[in-house]
Amino acid sequence: MRSILYIFLFSSILLTSVPAADAAGVKEIYRFYCAQCHGLEGKGDGINNREEMPVTPRDHTSAGEMGKLTDEDIISVIKEGGAATSKSTLMPPFMKTLTDDEIIGLKDYLRELCKC
Amino acid sequence: MFNKKIFSFFAVFFLCFLFTGANDLYARDGAALFTQNKCNACHQVEGPATDKTIEDLLRRNGPELWYAGSKFRPGFLGKWLADPQPIRPMEYYSLTEPNKNDHPRLPSEEAKAVAAYLMTLTSGDVGGAGIVARKNIKGKKVFAKEFSCYGCHQMRSRGHIMGGLSGPSLAGARERLNPEWVYAYMVRPKVFKPVKDMPVYSGLVNDKKMRNLSEYVSNLD
Repeated sequence: MRSILYIFLFSSILLTSVPAADAAGVKEIYRFYCAQCHGLEGKGDGINNREEMPVTPRDHTSAGEMGKLTDEDIISVIKEGGAATSKSTLMPPFMKTLTDDEIIGLKDYLRELCKC
Repeated sequence: MFNKKIFSFFAVFFLCFLFTGANDLYARDGAALFTQNKCNACHQVEGPATDKTIEDLLRRNGPELWYAGSKFRPGFLGKWLADPQPIRPMEYYSLTEPNKNDHPRLPSEEAKAVAAYLMTLTSGDVGGAGIVARKNIKGKKVFAKEFSCYGCHQMRSRGHIMGGLSGPSLAGARERLNPEWVYAYMVRPKVFKPVKDMPVYSGLVNDKKMRNLSEYVSNLD
């Protein structure tokens, strides 16, 4: 009886929880906000990657670079910007621009890009 | 003596009437020219902002002008419409196509009339904050160090144009932008652009910094 109750409760939570941003939506968000610096394919070659910039945008397809970051690191950088992790302030904070679900969706998308 | 006073009064009255009346006529001509030249195919002139999704924004070919009179400095639009120079290094919200610099060029008198019309389009959300364009060192710190705004916006630095290409250039902002609008755009961005590729800083940056930043930006040459 108790296990049925647990299954019922778990199903209710799943059904009522806010869905994470869908894959197509996340890709659109990436290409709109992130691609300006990181490039449409995530290789760090966006149009803002200029010679005069003090740092180059991270290559999101590099498993070597991206593999060093935990999910929390990625979420924190997207939310609070580069300054939050002692990186360049060229990476802006998106906490007032994107929802938590969209940020988690972006983190998952970055994991897909780097395959890491 | 009395006659002189009456004469002066009527002369001033007549000149004021002539000026405001002529300006009004100019603006009406400008509105007609705006429609005639199909400018509204690319520019929204009736507020409020309507974009809800990224797709909505990407469908646009040019900036909204329903608050042009609040955004631009007097005199800028007339000159620009007669001799348009790219404000964005790239095509409108494009990440692949450089600006083709193919905005229609208007004859000088038409440009003045269209500008007079556009300057009548204002937003009640702009003004009264006491923002003035000035060399603001604290604002420069926010711009260059705290948020690296040059990452997306070009600017003039020691005689050279530098900076990212995705946003509108801020070189020449002093001639182009109303300082009050820069501030209003920073603190209430959704009024003007509910969807935009620039992050929202409102709520992240305190009002003092927003003021300093707005003053610095609107003074860039």
